[in-house]
Amino acid sequence: MEVTFWGVRGSIPAPGPGTVRYGGNTACVSIRTAAGALLVLDCGTGARNLGLALLGDDGAAGVGGGFGAGTGEAAILLSHTHWDHIQGFPFFGPLYVEGNRFQIYGPAESSALLEGILEGQMAPQYFPVQTLKNMGARIDIAALSAGTTREILGCRVTAAMNPHGRSGAMAFRIEELGGSERRSVVYASDAGYPPEGPPAEVLALYAGADLLIHDSTFTPDDRARYPHRGLASVSEAVQAAVRARAGKLALFHYDQDYTDAEVDALVERARHELARSGATTELRPAVEGETISV
Amino acid sequence: MRVRFWGVRGSLPVPGRKTERYGGNTSCVEVRSQAGTRVIIDAGTGIRRLGQELMREEFEGGRGTAHLLISHTHWDHIQGLPFFAPLHQAGNHLYVYARRRDDLHLRAVFASQTGDPYFPTSIEEAKADISFRELADSAEFEIGDVTVACARLNHPYVATAYRLSVDGASVAYVSDTAPFSDILFENQFIPRPPLGRMPLGESDRSKLREMRDGVIRLCEGADLVIYDTMFTPEDYEKFPHYGHSRPRDALDVCRVAGARRLVLFHHAPERSDSEVDAILDATRAEAQRSRLSFGLDAAFEGLDLELGPGAPQGERLGRLGGGERGAGSGP
Repeated sequence: MEVTFWGVRGSIPAPGPGTVRYGGNTACVSIRTAAGALLVLDCGTGARNLGLALLGDDGAAGVGGGFGAGTGEAAILLSHTHWDHIQGFPFFGPLYVEGNRFQIYGPAESSALLEGILEGQMAPQYFPVQTLKNMGARIDIAALSAGTTREILGCRVTAAMNPHGRSGAMAFRIEELGGSERRSVVYASDAGYPPEGPPAEVLALYAGADLLIHDSTFTPDDRARYPHRGLASVSEAVQAAVRARAGKLALFHYDQDYTDAEVDALVERARHELARSGATTELRPAVEGETISV
Repeated sequence: MRVRFWGVRGSLPVPGRKTERYGGNTSCVEVRSQAGTRVIIDAGTGIRRLGQELMREEFEGGRGTAHLLISHTHWDHIQGLPFFAPLHQAGNHLYVYARRRDDLHLRAVFASQTGDPYFPTSIEEAKADISFRELADSAEFEIGDVTVACARLNHPYVATAYRLSVDGASVAYVSDTAPFSDILFENQFIPRPPLGRMPLGESDRSKLREMRDGVIRLCEGADLVIYDTMFTPEDYEKFPHYGHSRPRDALDVCRVAGARRLVLFHHAPERSDSEVDAILDATRAEAQRSRLSFGLDAAFEGLDLELGPGAPQGERLGRLGGGERGAGSGP
């Protein structure tokens, strides 16, 4: 599986000279499976660049998939519907090409409610397109419950809920079916753990992941300063990866006020803490535009 | 009067190296009178940095008052508001102004933006005092020593242009708008360019004429006009139904209105810094060909202009500012 980061920032896009190395776009990650299927994790502003790549506008090779011609198909998994995880959705170009098909999954009490939330973002006071129905692609929306497993585009997708805000944020484990070795990617953005760490069912979801993409919004000091924001420190990310025996840990969802130098310091701290733990987990800070092979 | 640009982009914020010089934040402009009245126009992501700056002043102690004029409530003009730090300090006052609508109260637009499940803390829970004031299309009112006039714009779901006058100077903010020629935008969704550019009916033409006259009146003799020039002529050919103008449309309005300076604004998200440079060069050449003598520049984050009788005269636009690039530098 090829995992590409299109947006790695939390809360709000942070353009400016201070964020050009790690990137200022909000959360969006794509997974291209060995079989060629496309799964998109969250739709922050990074989704715009993913869309451009899929439509071939930036000349990037190898991502294709028929989205320009209206024969593309992808699944979009939403961890939750805070703005920084859906604000790129209206700017995701392949949604405007008739014939493309999208399955959208996310946490909500019902599929109709999830659709209503996405419709709310498109409403005429906020966006000129006014409704999902004007976008062109076929969009099927389904609510997911924590603890469920579902087969999506040749992958086994399991969901668990992390504490975050009023209704939590969903973490996903994605395993490609078929082939001899079952590779796994876990996406855990926006994880506001209690002091004792991740809930048991969440740790079980992380267990043995080849790649764990984990919320690393804060330094431990800032985490303590903003406990109500429900976001993890880099140390909590390291501890989760060590306890889960993850193969690789991708730091993700950096605070909007952190400059590249401050993210460098987060990464250094993680490197140091990982080394001290004796774990074999490899550290891969998420960088906009970079791909990790799993 | 001081005018400072905090966000100059349209549609959505575009971080990255390609937009480093002009900036990737969405629309936000600050206007400050010599007496200290603070007016902010639009609350795109640029307002986050403005808020951080204000928190170094009286807003930190909860003694600040700001007035926010919203052109319209599309995302790129409001998405920064929840991150405006002065809202989270008790004692501060924010007055939010936007066009009155029949279908939705202004407060509801912001309550829904900041409510569950989209945002963790509702604007209703903000510690600062927030008041909403709804405006008629042609409203005129005072904010402290600043006089504000409004005009209706040609944009889906309707937008408002503002003129602010104080300290013997005036600035007009005209964003977002389509030209007043091919399509009349009201509340309906327009899925594609009109077939074969059908001639407009008399009622639509007369509404557009009236709108254009209103915008020209608003810009009349303005020291500075900030204008939505998101589209190149090629973009406009393809997307006349999106509700944005070309530089030539801004030149036309400024010429007729006798404005003194024009700043191109609301750059398209796909526009790289060098492409904005090229658009500016081409627009300057076009202005020269038309023997237009006013100052012309493209807005960038940190552009800081002093307007009025006391302001430095005769300099080329846009080199007064501080911002992150340091005083005296341009994009």
